[in-house]
Amino acid sequence: MSGLVDFRLRGIESVTDTALAHLDVEDLLVELLDRVRELLQVDTATVLLLDSSSQQLVATADRGIDAAVRQGFRIPVGKGFAGRVAAEKQPVIIEAVDHTNVLNTIFRDRGVCSLLGVPLLSRGTVIGVLHVGTLVPRRFTDEDVRLLQIVADRVGFATESRRAEVERAAAVVLQRSLLPARLPVVPGLELAARYVPAENGGVSGDWYDVFALPSGWLCIVIGDVVGRGLGAAEVMGRLRSALRAYALLGGDPAEVLGRVDQQVQHFDPETMATVLLAMFEPSLERLHLSSAGHPPPVLALPNHPPTLLDVPSDHPVGVPRGLRRRATTITVPPGGLLCFYTDGLVERRGTSLDAGLARLCELVVAGPVESVCAEVMAQLVGADPPDDDVAMLAVRRQDSGEIGPLDLVVPALPWSLRDIRVAVRRWLSAVGAAPRSIADLLVAVGEACTNAVEHAYGPSGGTVKVHMELQLPDVIATVADTGRWRPPRGEDRGRGTLFMRNCSDDLRIDHGPTGTTVVIRRRLAEQAPR
Amino acid sequence: MTAASVQATAEDGSMHIALSGEIDLANVDAVEEEIRAATSHQPNAVSVDLTELTYVDSAGIRMLFSLASRLRALRIVLELIVPLDSPTRRLIELSGFESLAALRPARH
Repeated sequence: MSGLVDFRLRGIESVTDTALAHLDVEDLLVELLDRVRELLQVDTATVLLLDSSSQQLVATADRGIDAAVRQGFRIPVGKGFAGRVAAEKQPVIIEAVDHTNVLNTIFRDRGVCSLLGVPLLSRGTVIGVLHVGTLVPRRFTDEDVRLLQIVADRVGFATESRRAEVERAAAVVLQRSLLPARLPVVPGLELAARYVPAENGGVSGDWYDVFALPSGWLCIVIGDVVGRGLGAAEVMGRLRSALRAYALLGGDPAEVLGRVDQQVQHFDPETMATVLLAMFEPSLERLHLSSAGHPPPVLALPNHPPTLLDVPSDHPVGVPRGLRRRATTITVPPGGLLCFYTDGLVERRGTSLDAGLARLCELVVAGPVESVCAEVMAQLVGADPPDDDVAMLAVRRQDSGEIGPLDLVVPALPWSLRDIRVAVRRWLSAVGAAPRSIADLLVAVGEACTNAVEHAYGPSGGTVKVHMELQLPDVIATVADTGRWRPPRGEDRGRGTLFMRNCSDDLRIDHGPTGTTVVIRRRLAEQAPR
Repeated sequence: MTAASVQATAEDGSMHIALSGEIDLANVDAVEEEIRAATSHQPNAVSVDLTELTYVDSAGIRMLFSLASRLRALRIVLELIVPLDSPTRRLIELSGFESLAALRPARH
């Protein structure tokens, strides 16, 4: 090797070593390609990286003819010049470019005459192609090939380590962003969750989700995508969106999982995931569950030993099997706690799954959710680095006595009325109100809110505050606005006040200078208003 | 957003309109529009079935009153189907709707 070439080759090494830490992949490649052009005295230098999902080589950096990247050039493995280098996994030389051996019209149009390409390898697999070209005919020598292969090894290593790092970071960020930042506040339920990513090899696609539907149903999801890294996190993101969307369409959890399964089999055929979907009725009395191959939740009731719920386990999502999915319904009495988890919590090397499940059952109690999570994680995960992701979610139905007042502040707009009813209905069921009282209070509170929406504010709008609390044996509901009730407009009005009065045991309407406050008192127990 | 559905079926010159879901200020205009469309060809009689309606407020009742007076002016018979145990029965009774139209507990 001549002294000059040796000197330039060191230039390449220095780039890969010092700049690696600071540049992103594209900038690093551009820097390297400039050095390659100088080193080999060529006019063009191009890197194409393999997109493994499409098995296409994608132009990622080019120098000399800066068009391939800008035009989004891509070519399948096996096709054209770069495709041939990737398919054969060895250097390819073309001395006279023509339409039979080069498919990239950019090269032919710009008068590239000769090309030399080498594969970019990482641990023996092709991750891309590096090629150089000249505008005058050139016969590339063995020495040229050897030098370019040395550069390619550098580029391959730099790209792969950088990409792995970026992907790992992206997977963690993505996974974190997909887990609920805050669990929803649901009157009558206590919720707590834990998620710990696997120690090595990055995240795997464990996730949980809790969301309410417009109908007042509350959905709880826990799932585990087979696979690891960014790919698994992306699939998990799609599954999470699909579950939310399909749940919105209605149906029991088996139907919802069936639709998700259809979507996965069609759009993500390589995917497999276990998922458990549990849906609380608005009253929280009953829970409907369906399991796509996911381990069963633990149910702990006050004064009872915890048990694994007997949920029939159907095939995982993504497994083509035309079987109907099954849904189970259970009653969750006040004080009952459910623990949902992924297998990372109970599977340990050297112990059986049954032993892990038995251990979990010993640890779950019908107590405060945060301490249940803390205790389970301390005992089952402890200080050992987990080999797999661990996710757990504890849900406890509160006793009516534990439930605090309900406070809502919503925009004084017609479409807030339904949200208010959903929240009020849930709170009243949670505190144990009789059906008749719930129906009456929904009307009385609804009419008070309707008045605020219709009459309190001008075009600039405002808010309505709803506060509900127990003063046994009564419920006190307060609806307040900060506007002035304008006189009802149009005919046939004033019926709302009649309904409020008839649906409450006591009604006070206070039109003050700073707004109107309606206080409704109604017995919690079943009986017509006095 | 509050959701209701309006299912209209014609039989022998009369119109059966089944309401389901919830009606409040947010969707009352849309529901009224659908009922108007279903009765625009002036049937001999209209029955409005509230069996599957889980919630109605004064805005919804007001809409039913305006429907009743419009049909009365057109000499179209109106009846309301409201089961005795249905969630809307109480308000219909309180509102005095019986002075305008017949209340039946079930479709005959």
